[in-house]
Amino acid sequence: MRHTPIALLAAFALSVTATAALAHHSFSAEFDVNKPIKLEGTVKRVQWINPHTWIYIDVKKPDGTTEEWGIEAGTPNTLFRLGFTREALPVGSMIVVDGYEARDGAKRANGRNMTLADGRKLFMGSSVGNDAKN
Amino acid sequence: MRAAAVATLCVLALGSLGAQTAKSQWKTPWGDPDLQGTWSNQTITPLERPREFADKPVLTEAEAAAYEKRLVAAGDVDVRQPGTVQDVNLAYNQVWWDRGNKIVADRRTSLIVDPPDGRIPALTPAAQKRRDEDRRASDGEKTAASWLDFDVYSRCIIRSALPRLSTGYNNNYEIVQSPGYVAIMQEQMHDTRIIPIGTGPHLPATVRQWLGDSRGRWEGNTLVVETTNFTDEARGSTFQYATKNMTLVERFTRVSDRTIDYQFTVSDPETWTRPWTAKLPWNRIDGLIYEYACHEGNLGLEHMLSAARAAEKKK
Repeated sequence: MRHTPIALLAAFALSVTATAALAHHSFSAEFDVNKPIKLEGTVKRVQWINPHTWIYIDVKKPDGTTEEWGIEAGTPNTLFRLGFTREALPVGSMIVVDGYEARDGAKRANGRNMTLADGRKLFMGSSVGNDAKN
Repeated sequence: MRAAAVATLCVLALGSLGAQTAKSQWKTPWGDPDLQGTWSNQTITPLERPREFADKPVLTEAEAAAYEKRLVAAGDVDVRQPGTVQDVNLAYNQVWWDRGNKIVADRRTSLIVDPPDGRIPALTPAAQKRRDEDRRASDGEKTAASWLDFDVYSRCIIRSALPRLSTGYNNNYEIVQSPGYVAIMQEQMHDTRIIPIGTGPHLPATVRQWLGDSRGRWEGNTLVVETTNFTDEARGSTFQYATKNMTLVERFTRVSDRTIDYQFTVSDPETWTRPWTAKLPWNRIDGLIYEYACHEGNLGLEHMLSAARAAEKKK
C-alpha cells in the first residue's frame, strides 16, 4: 500500500505523541486556529532562547507606520547543532511568516511557515540531518 | 608455509589484543563498565509496530532502506493542512524538528520487543479512564485557570516521565559515573537522574519524586536500574497512563565504542494487562550537551494563560 506523505506524517506524529507532546507546549492553546495570518517584515531582533526561539519583526502597515510582531519558533539547540549561528538570520532580513495569530490578541504569531522575501523557505530542507549512527 | 602460519597467529593475536584494548576502554579507572559520554536515543523506528508490518518484526535490508527513505521524505516536506488544530500544533518549520533519519540498526519494525506483536498491551478499564481524562485535560488547556493545569513538560519541570523515548528534538543525554553512582542528564530540561549503585532499599513509599527513586546494580557489563516511587502530582508525571506505582527496570549495556544497548520493562497491573519491554540504541554523539534553560524563557506558558483570560473576557 502506498502511503501519502500526510498519512505518514500523521503516523510519525502519533508515534511521537504516544508519550509526549509534539512541541514543548500546546500551540493551539496559545494561537488561534481561526486566525491565520501572513506577515511580511524585517527582522528586528532574535532571542535564541529555550524552550522556544523568538524572532521579532517590524511589519509595515498600510498607513506607513510599523508595528512589532513576535514570532515563536523551535528550540535553538537543534539549529546550533546543524551549524546555524546568530548570523543565520541577521537583523534587517526580510521574512514572510505564515502562521496563526495569538488568541489573546497580542502582536504574536507562530512561525508555522517562514520564508525569505525571495520565496526561499527559511531554513527548510535539513530537519532530518542529524547523523547519529545507529 | 610456517612463516604464513606465524603471520596468521600474529594477526590473530593482534586482533585479540585490539579487542581487549577496546573492551578495557569501556571500564572506568575503578573497574566498573564505562557508560560515560554524550548519547542520543533518536530513532525514527516507531514504539509500536505499524499495522502494515503486522507479521514482519524485522525488515530485510532492502525493505529497511525503502521504509527509512519513505519516513525521511514524509518528515522533510512542508505538509500543510491550513485551518486545522494539527496545523497549529505542528508549530513551526520542519527545520526546527530533529527526529533523525535512521531506523534502529537491527531493522526492527517496533521498539517494543515484548509482547511479540510489538504493541502496547491492552489498557485496563481504569487506565482507559485515565487516558480519556488526560485527553479532556489537554483540550482544557485553552481555558486553563493556572499553571497547575499544564503538564510537567509545559511547566519545564521534567521532559517527561521515565522511561524516555525518542521525540521531536533534543534527544541527547550525558552519562557521568563515579564510584557508587551513575548520573544521567537529559539535554532537554536538564533534568539529572542520580542513580546509587548497590543493594540499598528504595525510599519509603510515602516519598514520591518526579523521576522516581532509582537503584542500580551491575550484572556483568550491564547496568540494571530499578525505579519506583513515581508521583502523579502533576499532569504528565507518570509514564503514558500508568499510575505512580509503576515499576521500571532499565538495562544499559555498552556494545561498542559508539553504542549502548538500552532496554526497559514497565510493569503496572493497574495500567497494562501485562508488563512490556522496548529496546532502542543510545548512539554516541560528537559534541557537547547544550544548555536548555527552560523556565527562564518559558513565555509560552504565560501566553497560554493570557489567552485563556482573554477568552473569558469575550464570554
